[in-house]
Amino acid sequence: MEKPEKPKAIINIENVVASASLNRELDLEKVAEALENIEYEPEQFPGLVYRLKEPKTAALIFRSGKIVCTGAKSIDEVHQSIAQTVEKMKKHGIDVSHGVDIQVQNIVSSADLNAELNLDAIAVGLGLENVEYEPEQFPGLVYRLKEPKVVILLFGSGKLVCTGAKDPKDAEIAVAKVTEELKRLGLMGEPRHA
Amino acid sequence: MESEIPIKKEEIPAKREKAVQEEYVRKCPECGSTNLIRDYERAEVVCQSCGLVIDQQIIDMGPEWRAFDQEQRVKRSRVGAPMTYTIHDKGLSTMIDWRNKDFYGKEIAPRRRAQIYRLRKWQRRIRVSNATERNLAFALSELDRVASRLGLPRNVRETAAVIYRRAVEKGLIRGRSIEGVAAAALYAACRQCKVPRTLDEIADVSRVGRKEIGRTYRFIARELEMKLMPTNPTDYVARFASELRLTGEVQSKAIEILKKAAEKELTSGRGPTGVAAAAIYIASVLLGEKRTQREVAEVAGVTEVTIRNRYKELAEKLDIDITL
Repeated sequence: MEKPEKPKAIINIENVVASASLNRELDLEKVAEALENIEYEPEQFPGLVYRLKEPKTAALIFRSGKIVCTGAKSIDEVHQSIAQTVEKMKKHGIDVSHGVDIQVQNIVSSADLNAELNLDAIAVGLGLENVEYEPEQFPGLVYRLKEPKVVILLFGSGKLVCTGAKDPKDAEIAVAKVTEELKRLGLMGEPRHA
Repeated sequence: MESEIPIKKEEIPAKREKAVQEEYVRKCPECGSTNLIRDYERAEVVCQSCGLVIDQQIIDMGPEWRAFDQEQRVKRSRVGAPMTYTIHDKGLSTMIDWRNKDFYGKEIAPRRRAQIYRLRKWQRRIRVSNATERNLAFALSELDRVASRLGLPRNVRETAAVIYRRAVEKGLIRGRSIEGVAAAALYAACRQCKVPRTLDEIADVSRVGRKEIGRTYRFIARELEMKLMPTNPTDYVARFASELRLTGEVQSKAIEILKKAAEKELTSGRGPTGVAAAAIYIASVLLGEKRTQREVAEVAGVTEVTIRNRYKELAEKLDIDITL
């Protein structure tokens, strides 16, 4: 890949979703009693929602012993919140000795290209078969990359959202790739004044 | 002509008026003109610019009979209606006439009437041979129903039917409702024929929600690699303007505004109907045929707020002075 250019677009990680498994079945009723401030409405949602204050995330705990952690702003936060949740359960006498394996499922990040984009031209430039741009339905342009396998939403304001990454690096590579391609097509637009 | 000059046959996307008789327009190998004449008296193709005879002994594909009015035409024609994709068997199947007349126009003997009646019944039944065809027949009739409600022309219906058939071939219907795919095919066909309808308009007359149509449309557009350009706001102007009973001047003004807006990239990421509505609104005010924002909003299917926002953007960036 090309060398990192001067002021690259700053990529902000907005959300990290990870799954973890306790490798054992859980009795959610018991867990619900054990943990404080949780939401558990089996009629509405089969999982139990446990909201953490610090880091501000939510863990969804399921009967199968699987945990889904959402809302984290970094991979560290994911590990922290799952560790906290498991710790709490352990304290209340729930056996978690089967180990926990954590897997990052999705990273959503945002970035700003600092330039107005002409989405009509970009849709044609990137090839109509590769992008999805329906201003009637959604103001953004959806660009699906194959490598890394992520989806980028480009907006007319020059801001973009990258989803589907499993690694923070994927998002960086993807944004660099898109930037590169837009520059090559001469569709980067004038730099926006602050 | 002694020396036959090799001709490069070039297919040019059907120019409606000319393409009626000639399937493809050729280019003159001498002067490059496309102005060729088919002389059926002499059976030659002649270039009108330089006079070169390009082809000889051409075959006249037309009928050998003449007809001077509709009645004669019906009598002499030995062919049926043209093939169409809008009927599940492409309009190729046979119908047994409901009149009890035989080939010579004589009444059918009463004792054979019952037999003919049964034959007719079975003929009708076996037109649709299996479930796939029955589904197709249902889908195409649904397509026709929605298209009729929207008053869409023949070519759009034909295009929609072709899109639907391609979707069936690729197995894209599975897991989706027939009505949904039919509505999406129609939406796509409208865009392909440059007479876009909004999703809302189609959703209103079909039994499917706007979201479902949009989702299905995106899916089949991607799977069939349709490569449709994003809708252009100018495509809506004529329809909205005539619904608002605005004159041609207002239309041209609105189109002019939209052209400038596109140059300044004001349409990027904006809903095309909203932009079109704002341009029409501005044009109507500028030319003294004012329509209220509410009237324009109703016709375009957007909110007044959208019009106000778009109108402010346009007026500001294009330096249009509007005094109300």
